[in-house]
Amino acid sequence: MSSATSNAANPAMSMISRINIQQYVVYVGFLAIFLFFAIVLKDSGFLTVRNLSNIVLQTAPITIMAIGMVFVLSAGEIDLSIGSTVAVAALSAAVTMNAYGMIAGIAAGIGAGVAIGLVNGLLVAYVRLPSFLVTLATLGLFAGVARSLTNLRSIPVTDSMFTGFFGSGSLLGIPSLIWWTVIAIVAGHLIFRETRFGAHVLATGDNARAASVSGIPVPRIRLAVLVISGALAGLAGLLYAGRLQAAKYTLGETDLMTVIAAVIVGGTLLNGGKGSIIGALVGSLMMGMLNNGLILMGLSVSDQMIVRGLIILAAVAVSLREKLR
Amino acid sequence: MNKLSMIPAGLVAVLLSTHAFAADGATTGPHGEKPTPAASFTLTPDEETKIKDGKFTAALVWHEMSEYTNAVNSGAQDEFKRLGVEVVAQTDAGFDAARQKADVETVLAKKPSIILSLPVDPATAGPIYDPALKAGVKLAFVDNSPQGYVQGKDYVTIVSDDLFQMGHKAGVAMAEALGKKGKVGYIFHDADFYVTNQRDQAFKSTIEQDYPDMKITAEAGMADPARAEEIAQAMVTQNPDLDGIYVTWAEPALSVLSTLRSAGNTHTKIVTLDLNEPAALDMVKGGAVAALVADEAYNIGVTAARAAAGSLVGKQAEPFLVVDSLAVTKDTVKDGWKKSLNKDVPATIAEAIK
Repeated sequence: MSSATSNAANPAMSMISRINIQQYVVYVGFLAIFLFFAIVLKDSGFLTVRNLSNIVLQTAPITIMAIGMVFVLSAGEIDLSIGSTVAVAALSAAVTMNAYGMIAGIAAGIGAGVAIGLVNGLLVAYVRLPSFLVTLATLGLFAGVARSLTNLRSIPVTDSMFTGFFGSGSLLGIPSLIWWTVIAIVAGHLIFRETRFGAHVLATGDNARAASVSGIPVPRIRLAVLVISGALAGLAGLLYAGRLQAAKYTLGETDLMTVIAAVIVGGTLLNGGKGSIIGALVGSLMMGMLNNGLILMGLSVSDQMIVRGLIILAAVAVSLREKLR
Repeated sequence: MNKLSMIPAGLVAVLLSTHAFAADGATTGPHGEKPTPAASFTLTPDEETKIKDGKFTAALVWHEMSEYTNAVNSGAQDEFKRLGVEVVAQTDAGFDAARQKADVETVLAKKPSIILSLPVDPATAGPIYDPALKAGVKLAFVDNSPQGYVQGKDYVTIVSDDLFQMGHKAGVAMAEALGKKGKVGYIFHDADFYVTNQRDQAFKSTIEQDYPDMKITAEAGMADPARAEEIAQAMVTQNPDLDGIYVTWAEPALSVLSTLRSAGNTHTKIVTLDLNEPAALDMVKGGAVAALVADEAYNIGVTAARAAAGSLVGKQAEPFLVVDSLAVTKDTVKDGWKKSLNKDVPATIAEAIK
């Protein structure tokens, strides 16, 4: 009798655990934080369309970089250099644009990102250096390049077509930054989930040796993910330049940790083999929402930092702990 | 209050591009404005009542948090409180212009009547504050304003230090310490940075013009504060007979202090700028440090808040309001700390004075 009951209970239990609560942690967390702010700040403008769309606009560059980071982490690598790629791309774009026009500027910005990605990728994939060390070095290296590019000067971006396209403009009533976010998320998700390349990335991150044995060109995958990450950081640089109508060597410097936190909270594993583009989007929005809500709560700056740190720690702890089981 | 060490090298270039150097004897504003003493901006009881009745709100959008910003911030908070203006948000951009833009957008959700801010990058800050301008928020700035913005139309005023006065007071303090005669070493900031350049120049011209029996016999430019010790060592070795050394700000002055100590020199006096706990401790213990010249950072906040609140009831402010500075010596260290930072002296110093 008693054994029958426990037999009946066990499948139910294992069913529940198989539903993978962990996959939904980020969504539940996001909703919880959203509801909290919605209630606490209901008279403080949090729920206005303007404020909510601000959050999406402000996080657009983070989201775009997070997509690249999902590819990199899923392949078992990491890209720390995005922190300075953004500035190099934005400055290259601004300088080139002021001299040769918008198209050349865009090409220079994305080109700079791709070039940095190539440097990282070649060193990681073919010289076989660990990506953590390679990109830590190039993070510093390109921070120096960003400073010397314009001798620390900030460069105004005056091309109104460019600032419209990448910053303040809108199409069909939807701001261009939201378009960029949507396009990047959809494309990233499809490539990651539906293509052979995406499967190869995951296989490489899961077990590089096994992937190699089964015929996956592991070095090329490693090169590709770092180039994707560089290119997307370049795009993020363009978005910053468009939004601020200026490029400066400090752009993106503080973004690296936010991007990594967003991606990890969103369900991507730090050591490869598992990733989620949609999770990264939600993670990135969660970071933006936290910044926004804590400011609107009227907290002092130091309190904002402490609370934000604690919430991120809790979110990372929950999502990682679940996954390692 | 080491304001300079908090300023990244990038600002140097930016500030240079928008700042004219002081002519003879006066600080000039970032766009060449004439300075007006901050104390001259006052509100009548009638205006204060109107402000209190207005139920206004304010947001503080800082470039980053340092001891300097902290003092400015608490001055602003206190003055807003006195005027019945509620501070609804406070932000720190960590020297990131993109974050400052996001911060401005975010605080606008609270519909503040006033935003007080220090632009991270004045040369390109226009687009950052444009949404606030469009929303009809009164803007008042600390230290600098966005390029292209027109005072009186786009913003209320800029409140800052009186840089010339700081350098001048350092010169006077040096003269007092040396009995108005002797040989002086001059360690200046060897970079195009208007804050230090104006202060250093003011010190030099004060010694040269006002004290005929004092001579600057050694000069050294310091580009990198980390190398201050080497510079000091060279200066002290070549000129063992210096009576005093001026150092451009307090952090490198500590290196000069350690050089003097290790050389067994008890004769040479140091005068420098900004309040700094170790330097002040040496001063109260009768060491080499003779005076520290500090600005009234707390008052910068008070004045900016007052001017911005005044603008809501139609009160005009001059374009460039400057606060006083003060030379803090062994005898005035307690008052000086209070006046500059609106804080009590650190415990170590209080202990040493006893």
